[in-house]
Amino acid sequence: MSPLPDSPPPVPPPVPVETHPNRTGSLKPPSELRALPDPTRLAPEDAYYSPSLLRSRPGTATYEEPIRPLSGKAATAASVAALRPPPAVPGAAARKENRKLRGTGARRRRKGAWKKLLWVKQSYPDNYTDTETFLDHLQRNPRVRPYDFWPLVADSTVIVQHVCSVAIFICCFVGIVQGRVSPVSVVCWGSVGTVVGWILWDWWAFREHTENRRAAERAMEGDDGSSASSMTSSVNPSHQRSNAQKENQVQGLGLSIAQNEPGVPLRRHSTGLSADSFTAQDPASPPGYANGIVGPFNSQTWQLNNHFPSFLSRNRQRLSTVKSAFLIYFSLLGLSPILKSLTKSTASDSIWAMSCWLLIMNIFSFDYGRGEGAGATKFPASLSTNAAVMASTVLASRLPSTTHVFSLMLFSIEVFGLFPIFRRQLRHISWTGHIFLTLALVTVAGGAVGITLRGGWAGAVVGSFLGSILTALTMGGCSWWLISLQKYKNVVSGPWDPARPVIRRHWD
Amino acid sequence: MPYNIAMVSDFFFPQPGGVESHIYQLSTKLIDRGHKVIIITHAYKGRTGIRYLTNGLKVYHVPFLVIYRETTMPTVFSFFPIFRNIVIREQIQIVHGHQSLSSFCHEAILHARTMGLRTAFTDHSLFGFADAGSILTNKLLKFTLSDVDHVICVSHTCKENTVLRASLDPLMVSVIPNAVVAENFRPLHITPRANDRLLGGTIQIQPTPKPIGPNDIITIVVISRLFYNKGTDLLIAAIPRILASHPNVRFIVAGSGPKAIDLEQMLERNVLQDKVEMIGAIRHEEVRDVMVRGHIYLHPSLTEAFGTVIVEAASCGLYVVCTRVGGIPEVLPQHMTTFAKPEEDDIVLATSKAISALRSNKVRTERFHDQVKVMYSWTDVARRTERVYMGISGDISPQEFYGYYPGEIQEAGDRVRNFSLIDRLKRYYGCGVWAGKLFCLCVVIDFLLYTFLEMWLPRANIDIARSWPKKLSEMNGNSTQSERDRLGSTT
Repeated sequence: MSPLPDSPPPVPPPVPVETHPNRTGSLKPPSELRALPDPTRLAPEDAYYSPSLLRSRPGTATYEEPIRPLSGKAATAASVAALRPPPAVPGAAARKENRKLRGTGARRRRKGAWKKLLWVKQSYPDNYTDTETFLDHLQRNPRVRPYDFWPLVADSTVIVQHVCSVAIFICCFVGIVQGRVSPVSVVCWGSVGTVVGWILWDWWAFREHTENRRAAERAMEGDDGSSASSMTSSVNPSHQRSNAQKENQVQGLGLSIAQNEPGVPLRRHSTGLSADSFTAQDPASPPGYANGIVGPFNSQTWQLNNHFPSFLSRNRQRLSTVKSAFLIYFSLLGLSPILKSLTKSTASDSIWAMSCWLLIMNIFSFDYGRGEGAGATKFPASLSTNAAVMASTVLASRLPSTTHVFSLMLFSIEVFGLFPIFRRQLRHISWTGHIFLTLALVTVAGGAVGITLRGGWAGAVVGSFLGSILTALTMGGCSWWLISLQKYKNVVSGPWDPARPVIRRHWD
Repeated sequence: MPYNIAMVSDFFFPQPGGVESHIYQLSTKLIDRGHKVIIITHAYKGRTGIRYLTNGLKVYHVPFLVIYRETTMPTVFSFFPIFRNIVIREQIQIVHGHQSLSSFCHEAILHARTMGLRTAFTDHSLFGFADAGSILTNKLLKFTLSDVDHVICVSHTCKENTVLRASLDPLMVSVIPNAVVAENFRPLHITPRANDRLLGGTIQIQPTPKPIGPNDIITIVVISRLFYNKGTDLLIAAIPRILASHPNVRFIVAGSGPKAIDLEQMLERNVLQDKVEMIGAIRHEEVRDVMVRGHIYLHPSLTEAFGTVIVEAASCGLYVVCTRVGGIPEVLPQHMTTFAKPEEDDIVLATSKAISALRSNKVRTERFHDQVKVMYSWTDVARRTERVYMGISGDISPQEFYGYYPGEIQEAGDRVRNFSLIDRLKRYYGCGVWAGKLFCLCVVIDFLLYTFLEMWLPRANIDIARSWPKKLSEMNGNSTQSERDRLGSTT
């Protein structure tokens, strides 16, 4: 049954490579990697139809030779993968001819080549391991993108920003509790910052809107005929690449028209919605959407319609934002006495521990993404906001008066609810602004920590200085660490993984 | 050298399934070859204690806590006392575990090694490496298999997977495929049973059915549990397109599962109820009767270690259209199958190709049954499994079993797993930084438990069970059907 030892041929024959697409190299586009391996590799017809071997194989010598590393004490996955012969060298063709001639030896004809098939009765033992085909569909790290240092550092600024704003919040609370800072001043400064941020944000939105309109006008003038088709195609859910630009405008407009509807209760909601309307990914079309677009418009009337409601809608949107701001303000005002005594009976130790955990939860579950694409909806970003608001609620009961409680709650909503939206938009609009905001936040947070720990302006200066250096070192160190950890990445995939079905979704 | 073999698995009759019937068929054929086989499984509802099945196959249903889908609670040691008792009673020499999700099997292999028995393990399924469940299972598998004597896999892809998962020496892993009972999967024109439909009481082999004309109805059969990993999404996407381009095609879909609702919704949306027949879950005995109503078997699975059902379909004389995943490409020859990528477009294309091949009568489906009968039989599986038993218990020299390489005698000697505790601990220690130490701890505790049991319940106090009377004919391995039937009727 088992192959007897023959005297090995003088030259170890090379291994045929032309049928091994997975072996020749690892540099392949990801689309190819996703596909199943070459169908000719396992095709049974060469075994069934033609008794002559299409894929010539080496004789017994290669059977014995590469198996030697296999029989080590612990054949780990790495060693098994490493036993495969190296990829083809360019000069292998001549030697291959040579081997083919030699390959028709008596032994070959007697035994026949081993095939990776189950239905064929083969003269090899069941535990025969064909070193040529064994594990040759194995792929390691097929979809790994190596990280670069500076982009990684740049991306980590998002986390730094959030951690800094949490630190600022904590310092403000400590200041309020210790009576060093007046709560009203804190909330005033916070509100001023929020209003400035909102004005900025509104201005960006307005600018982007006008730019969009201008681009739309240009597109209208450019091709009158196709505009109608683009409008109709935007009704169709299947996005066509060529029309993607126009669709974006049309959908953005459609959403801002849809904002006319009253009853957007929270300011945060309204801002979030219109932020989406400008990135315009894939809106769940509201009722106003279809009405605004479908219909036999020619380009002239469409432009008219475009001008009017845009100004109206902007004003109405501002109005609704102000309305929801007042709503939050007054409801907080009403709630503060309740919040003040809500957890009064709980011991302070529990409160500190709980708020610690809640803020840690906030930092870890915060949505650091860009807020678009499929990943945005995957993790509930509300978890982090809720955790933060709950932390501040719990902390509020340690404060002496209703004004204190009200100020802290409002401040926490500004810091944890509105500030992240502003930061995301800022990163989207201008990268320099993002960097400057990061620097400012790091400095302020360091200073605040310094004041809290030491007190006095000297403490603030030392704190911000040390904080900046520490932050920079941490960012660089963590990025470098992550990059150095990449070499341990070992994703093994092969034919045993469940295939990913490719389905065209046109029946929905 | 007849052996006393204990098959251990969580999965056995009365629960239906592939592993269950594999264990049963293999055991019966091994008994036919003169061995003594018992099966150890956990107690099913209404089935506790000892049962005898046809052919004198003894089944121990051990009462045990079942936690999830008929898998017992993985307590490392609590199975040991009763297992030792059974093994001593039945004078077991080889313990053969089945299926990597069965904790019974893992425990039995560990205890059997402690008791100084030879062990084998059969892996029936494929596992990935990425998700948390797979990582846990793979670590457990590594624990068990680092001291097992031999591993059997059902396909070469499965072997590659197992070798990677448990870091095994590939020469210690044999590939022995599943098989089908070809008599149970006859095409319509070979109908020896009188109660079969359409052909009434005819016993004779009918002349081959008349070829399919260009306008005859072609029926496509799908029998699978309707789960995600069986590719039901592909099926749902492909059926309307196939029916739209081929008016004379009908579908029969058998099976149930969470995706059945999606399938029905698709039928209603496209108004295809008169072209697609859904017959729900069917028992394994009815599979043949459903299959013979069709011409093409469509198998859109996303992962499959072996795919017994496509062999059954081919045995029924159906042309097979299947996805090229897992071990499926190794199972059937090219002239019986059309392979497709697991993509909607490709499945539609392959099915159309298969339909046109049938219409042009290029495929001789009436010969499939005889060909499959030659390819896969349980007798052959039992013969090959017996060789594994001979190899691990030393009746075949290690050189012959693992292959002889000059200058490697000491290496070949390493594959024969000796029972001394220190060598076992060495093997377990290499499993991982922390896992290795944990595994060693488990093995030491197991050994102490064994010594304790030897003192507390001495071997001398355990009765030896009488074996089932062996049949008188010599054990030549070619036991015929009539012999089995005769023996079966005596029980």
